[in-house]
Amino acid sequence: MGITRRNLLRGTAATLAVAGTGFSTQLLAGQKTVKIGLNIPMTGDYAPWGLPGLYGCEIVANNINAAGGVEIGGETYMIEPVGYDHGYDTEKAIIGYKTLIGDDASMIMMLGGSTVGAILGRAQRGKKMVTTLLPSDITPDTPNLVAPSESHPLYNATGVEWLKENFPELKTAVIVTTNDIEYGQQSAAVYQAAFEAAGIEVLDTNFHGFDVTDFAPIVQGLLSNKPDVFCMATDVYTTPLVEALYNANFQGKIVSCTLDLYEEVIAKTSKEFVEGIVFQFPDFDDPALNSAQIQFPDPSGFWDTFQKDYPGQWSAVAWQYPAILTNWVTAAQAAGSIEPMDVLAAMKGNPNPPHTFGKAKWWGSQLYGQDNCVVGDWPVVTMQDGRARIVEFRSVLDWLDRNNDILKRKMQDLGLRTV
Amino acid sequence: MSIKNLIICIAVIAGIVTLTPFLKFQYQDLMIFLVINVLVVVSYRLVTLTGEWSLIHIVMMGVGAYASAMLSKFAGFPFWVSMPLAGLTAAGISAILCFPLFRMTQFYFLIGSFAAGEAIRLCWIYFIDPFGGSSGINNIPVPVLGDVDFYEPMPYLYMVLVVVTISLVILHRIEKSRVGLTLLAVHWKAPLAESVGVDTWKYRSLALIVGSFFVGIAGALKVHYLGVVTPHQFGIGIMVFVLIWVIVGGYATFVGPIIGVVVLTIFDQGLRASGVVDPAVQPAIYGAVLITSILFMPEGLEGLGKRFRSMAKNSNA
Amino acid sequence: MELFLQSIVNSIIQGGFFALWAVGLVLIFGVMGVVNFAHGELVMIGAYTVWLLHAQNDVPFLLAVPIAIILAMMIGLLMERFLFRPNRTDPLAGLICSIGVLFILQVVAHEVGGTGPAKQVAPPFSEIIQVGEYLRIPSQRLFSLAVALSALGVLWYFLTQSKLGWALRAVALDREASALQGININRISMIAIGVGAAMAGLAGGLMAPLQNITPHMGHNVIITAFIVTIVGGVGSLSGAVAAAFIYAAFHTFVTTYFNGTIATILGLLIMVVVLIIKPTGIMGVKVSE
Repeated sequence: MGITRRNLLRGTAATLAVAGTGFSTQLLAGQKTVKIGLNIPMTGDYAPWGLPGLYGCEIVANNINAAGGVEIGGETYMIEPVGYDHGYDTEKAIIGYKTLIGDDASMIMMLGGSTVGAILGRAQRGKKMVTTLLPSDITPDTPNLVAPSESHPLYNATGVEWLKENFPELKTAVIVTTNDIEYGQQSAAVYQAAFEAAGIEVLDTNFHGFDVTDFAPIVQGLLSNKPDVFCMATDVYTTPLVEALYNANFQGKIVSCTLDLYEEVIAKTSKEFVEGIVFQFPDFDDPALNSAQIQFPDPSGFWDTFQKDYPGQWSAVAWQYPAILTNWVTAAQAAGSIEPMDVLAAMKGNPNPPHTFGKAKWWGSQLYGQDNCVVGDWPVVTMQDGRARIVEFRSVLDWLDRNNDILKRKMQDLGLRTV
Repeated sequence: MSIKNLIICIAVIAGIVTLTPFLKFQYQDLMIFLVINVLVVVSYRLVTLTGEWSLIHIVMMGVGAYASAMLSKFAGFPFWVSMPLAGLTAAGISAILCFPLFRMTQFYFLIGSFAAGEAIRLCWIYFIDPFGGSSGINNIPVPVLGDVDFYEPMPYLYMVLVVVTISLVILHRIEKSRVGLTLLAVHWKAPLAESVGVDTWKYRSLALIVGSFFVGIAGALKVHYLGVVTPHQFGIGIMVFVLIWVIVGGYATFVGPIIGVVVLTIFDQGLRASGVVDPAVQPAIYGAVLITSILFMPEGLEGLGKRFRSMAKNSNA
Repeated sequence: MELFLQSIVNSIIQGGFFALWAVGLVLIFGVMGVVNFAHGELVMIGAYTVWLLHAQNDVPFLLAVPIAIILAMMIGLLMERFLFRPNRTDPLAGLICSIGVLFILQVVAHEVGGTGPAKQVAPPFSEIIQVGEYLRIPSQRLFSLAVALSALGVLWYFLTQSKLGWALRAVALDREASALQGININRISMIAIGVGAAMAGLAGGLMAPLQNITPHMGHNVIITAFIVTIVGGVGSLSGAVAAAFIYAAFHTFVTTYFNGTIATILGLLIMVVVLIIKPTGIMGVKVSE
């Protein structure tokens, strides 16, 4: 069902790009629509960090439109998320960006990494607004790029902090991640800094390629260090990695950034084995999300609709893109305009930017050169009886205040760009 | 070149120059890439004149692309210097590879060239410093020439047209020259050529090196427009497209591969624009086109053209 | 020590798969003189078949795998009849046609599987066998190894003990002479590709519960099969099997103790070196032109 819709949107975008008349597919006759573009991977290795975000946006946009749309600057608009699948291919990402801009998208949401780097020059010259989930894409030369929801991988420090607080006997760790810069190296830097701040020694860090089919050699090589903690810094391959840990009868603690599709992980291992895995992404029907500091519209309703319409597709990003969408709405209303630069100014001008888990500030100049990243609280999640449940919220800003120097040092050790 | 052919060439270039400003931006981009791809296929044809089908050609394009990107971004060379240096880098690397590769023939050369190319590509991925790994290199500087804004498609297209036209003229001259004729002799009748004292190894290497030089330039042209270079732009998938263009177009004459790349690019875009076919299905259509071409059109489109012309002549007789 | 033993086990299990992949390719090249570039995709189709039948539709695993074998075999036979046979005089044309099939099969898998993340098949055998103090072998992997070795054993028996097997080897050695002896080349070609494709389908079916299933998983298969085939000997099946286990050990140990990408780069370089020095491989004989 989701696939049909995605094709519809993609086909629509393609048809519109070809027709180029600016004709908008109107959800209600006679209504103005504003398009929000998603230039994301919907196929390939990174599909789980793109496609579910589009689904989430559709759900949230439908809710907004069903309630009559949004009023911005005296006009009422329907919201239309428009997706483009670049499959994490840089050339296609450039085409996607141009197509969505040609389609009058007011904001382009992207996943992050090299695909964002490819289009930033154009976005700056064209005065367009682009969002990313990776603040490491931000540079001093790119004021039009913001990371208004996810502050990957900074929040990963909270998982390690919590782990050490609750299991002070942990002494050693190993890290595995992919061998790219934007995910692998950036998260390795954060986790290495977090472990050091927590007094845990990192015995080995393994950066693996994307062509690995059998993770047994890698995992066993790492486990030969006899670590207390096994850390998957950021990895699209969490499923085979956990499976390899299960096959090796690993008895220590597992900490990860994501654990997408954990039902598949359980099917390949067991519910008992995944019990207690620490990561950072809750199921959205978690009662802890009813707390007052949460700034996301009806999390459990969103979860229920998502599970009904797109079963088996939930991932870490499913709520992040819609969160940015709602941030856009708030900013556009404050600015009274849908023009990208006006919305951007309103967003950045807000000293208490909305953030799903609350208590956020604009941050980033210490590391990336601009305060273009929204950093707030973040949940620490563990697998409990086959569900992803929040154990507590922690402040990422506090951790950064205390440990920014360690992080900077680790980033420089890995050759990552810092200011 | 005959006057008739010269007029055709000028007409084509004039057509491109006048038509493109009226196209939508996606098609302007496409025109730029099409012209660059023409250089890719024509340079590949030179390599096929060795009688071997190399699978390393696209990786050589990547070598040129990375060279130009790194020279201009990290070493500050202007594009006008980094581009020819890119060609020379590709030529140099292929010269070194001639020694191992040309000891193999036929199937072994195919696999060997594929393996060497893939090994180079994996090096770009593994050595994050300086190649940027999987993410590659971005913010590649755009050419600078006075006030011209090379970010815009039309100025870049003019520049590409100039470079590609000059390259094609050189390649055509090579083919018509003594060197070219000897190459053809090596291709069609290697033992005979050897018997008159032709060093076939030398000529095969020459074809590979010159072909790599020009495809390296094509690589530089491409990435300075895109602004990014990644290892995934030069994988076996793209190499196969080049094969398809050359085979479907025909490679008996200079013009065959050009026909192939133009016709298939238009066909591809037409499919996309019509919306009849989901873009994800398109590789399958390419596969079917390739198979059809091999089975029913072994001489390619240019062969078809010849057949029609001779049929027309016969019917007039 | 534990790591070393575990790596040996991993190498053997990987070797079984590499051998299945390579043997299929060698059979087709040896007997028919053509390289099937779509060989990796036949493996991929085998994996997708098991995913579709077993993971999505609850067909028992031990039934899904034979179906995968049959499906891969049928695709192979179709390729022989319509693509390789008309191009028997021009093996390069056959190779290029197989590239066309590669694209088509990838798109078929993409359409069947839909977009989104890699497919996963939960292993039907989920026990983990403890051997001695250190070794832990998942029973699914042991099962795959056992089946792979059995298939290779059956193939060996077929080739050395049966009349048809001898005919296959005769055609591989000298096609014209075999035809003069009354061997039906068409029939032998079909058998060769049928068996080769069946091996591929079997490998894919066995691999399905063990790794991510994507439309592009064939890429790794064909590269490995090429390396193993070249190093082991293009015309030699026993060479291919030996090279499969040696290369599997090499790749596993380099990956475990160092890095996986480097392992593949080195593997490719070794292949190039072999191509330069002894193109027919360690145990190969020159296949008749």
